[in-house]
Amino acid sequence: MATLLRGLRAAGALRGLGGVLAPPTATNLPLCRLWRGFYCAARRLQDESKSDRASSSSSSPSSSSFHQHYQAHSAEQDSASQHPSDSAETPAGRVAYADDQSEDQDEEYESEEQLQARILTAALEFVPLHGWSMEAIAAGAESLGLSSASTGMFTNGSGDLVLHFIADCNAKLTEILAEQHNRVQLGQAEKKKTSEFLRDAVETRLRMYVPYMETWPQAMSLLLLPHNIPDSLKHLSNLVDDIWYYAGDRSTDMNWYTKRAVLTGIYNTTELVMVQDSSPDFQDTWAFLDNRIQDVVNMATTAKQVQSTGEAVVQGLMGAAVTVSFS
Amino acid sequence: MTLAGENVYDPLIPYSSATDTKSYTSLQFGARAYSVVPTPRDQEEQEMVHRILRVDHAGEFGANRIYAGQMAVLGRSKTGPLIQQMWDQEKKHLAKFNEILGENRVRPTALLPFWNIAGFVLGASTALLGKEGAMACTVAVEESISEHYNSQIRVLMERDPERYSELLQVIKEFRDDEMDHHDTGLEHNAESVPGFWILKNVIQLGCKAAISISERV
Repeated sequence: MATLLRGLRAAGALRGLGGVLAPPTATNLPLCRLWRGFYCAARRLQDESKSDRASSSSSSPSSSSFHQHYQAHSAEQDSASQHPSDSAETPAGRVAYADDQSEDQDEEYESEEQLQARILTAALEFVPLHGWSMEAIAAGAESLGLSSASTGMFTNGSGDLVLHFIADCNAKLTEILAEQHNRVQLGQAEKKKTSEFLRDAVETRLRMYVPYMETWPQAMSLLLLPHNIPDSLKHLSNLVDDIWYYAGDRSTDMNWYTKRAVLTGIYNTTELVMVQDSSPDFQDTWAFLDNRIQDVVNMATTAKQVQSTGEAVVQGLMGAAVTVSFS
Repeated sequence: MTLAGENVYDPLIPYSSATDTKSYTSLQFGARAYSVVPTPRDQEEQEMVHRILRVDHAGEFGANRIYAGQMAVLGRSKTGPLIQQMWDQEKKHLAKFNEILGENRVRPTALLPFWNIAGFVLGASTALLGKEGAMACTVAVEESISEHYNSQIRVLMERDPERYSELLQVIKEFRDDEMDHHDTGLEHNAESVPGFWILKNVIQLGCKAAISISERV
C-alpha cells in the first residue's frame, strides 16, 4: 500500500515536473536534456522519500525553488558538454541544492494541503476574469510565484476551487457568529430574536458571494456535478447546523431535523433569487428572505395554535361526554 | 484575555487551536469548559463519541416510552407506583443525555419517532399480559441496555480511561441504575409469565437491532 502510494505520488510529481520542464526549453527537446530531466525527477523523488522517512511532515521542496534551480542548471548545461554522463555531476549539485534550499526557506515545509489552500485562495482573485476554472487556478499559482503547471495537483480543478471558497465562507461565518455570541455572553450586545438572527446570518453569508456574483451561476452548476455533490452537501449541512447552533437551538428530537431542513430550504431559495436579482444592493433578495422567514414563523405559531385548539376541543368533548353520561 | 494576560476560556467560544490554518472542524467543537465529554481531537474521535452518545440517547428515549406504555395500562393497578418510580429514573437519564447532546452538537437519531411509537407499543402490549409481563419486558430491556453500556465502557476504557473519565462515570452510573431495574423486575415475578424465555429473547433481539440501527442513522 505504501509503495502504491509512493508510486502514485511519483506519477503526480513527474506530471508536475513535466510541466515545470516544459517552459524553459524549446519545443524540440534534445534527448539528453530529456534524460537529464528524468534523472532530476528520480533524484527528487529519492529526496522526497528520504525526507518522508526522516520527518513526519510530508512536504517536498516546493516546485518554485526547483524551477529556479533548474533554470540555473540549464544555463550551466548549455555551456557544458551534453553527455548523459554529465549527470554524474548533478548528484553533487542536487545535494548542494537541498542545502541551498534550506537557507532560502523556513525549516518548516508546508504540507500539500496548505499549499493547495494557498493557491486556491490566490486563484479567487482571478475568478471574475477567468471564471471558476483551471485558468483561474493557474493564474493564482503564478501570482504566488509558482509555475502554472502546479494546477496538476488539482484533479478536480474548478470543483476544488468552488468547494474551497465555500469552506472559507463557512469558516468566516462561524467566526462572525461566534464573535457575536461572545459579545452577547459578555453583555455587550442584545440577544437577537431567532427570526432576526437567522435572517442576519443568511444575509451575511450570502453577501460573501457578492464579489463573485457574475460567475456564481457557474459555481452553482459546478456544485451540482455528481462528484461534487457529497462535498457540497456536507458544507451546506455544516453551515445550517452552525447557524442553528448559534441561534440557540439545542433540540434533541425531530425538531433538530425539521429546523435544519427548513433553513436549508430558505438558504437555497434565497441563493437562487440572489443570482437572478438585479436590484440595487440586492434589496429584492433580502425582501424575499424576510418573507420566507416570516412564513416559517407564521407556520410555527399556526402549528402551536392548532395544537392548543385541538387540546381545548378534546377537553370540551370529554366534558360533554361526561355530562351526557351522567344525565 | 484578562488584564493579567491569561486566557480566559469562555465556554461557548469555539476553541480554535490552529492559528495559521483556520481549521474548520476545530471551530465546530462548541463544547463547554466543564463538559462531560472531552473536546474531540479529530474527526474520527468525534464520530466515535457522537455515535456512542446518539445511541445512548435513543436508548433512554426508548426506555422512557416503554415505561410510558406500561403506565398507560398498569398505571392504576398496584404496580403503578413501582413502574412510576422506575420511569422517573429513566426521565432523569434522558434529561442528562439531552443536555449532553445539546452541548456537544450531536445529531439525534432520525428514527426517534419510530422508537417513540415502538417503545410505547412494546410497553403497553407487555403490560396487557399482566404485571408479570410488564416486569418481564423490563428485565429483558434492562439486561440489553446494561450489556450495551458495558460494551461502551469497555471501548472507552480501552481507548483512554483518563480522557473519558467523566463520560465513563455517567455511563457507569446509568448502567448501575439499569441493573437495579433489572433486579427489581426479577424480584417482582418476571419469570413467572408464560413464555418468559421466548418473550425475553424476542425483546432482546429487537433491542440489539435498534441499537445497531441507531448508531448509524
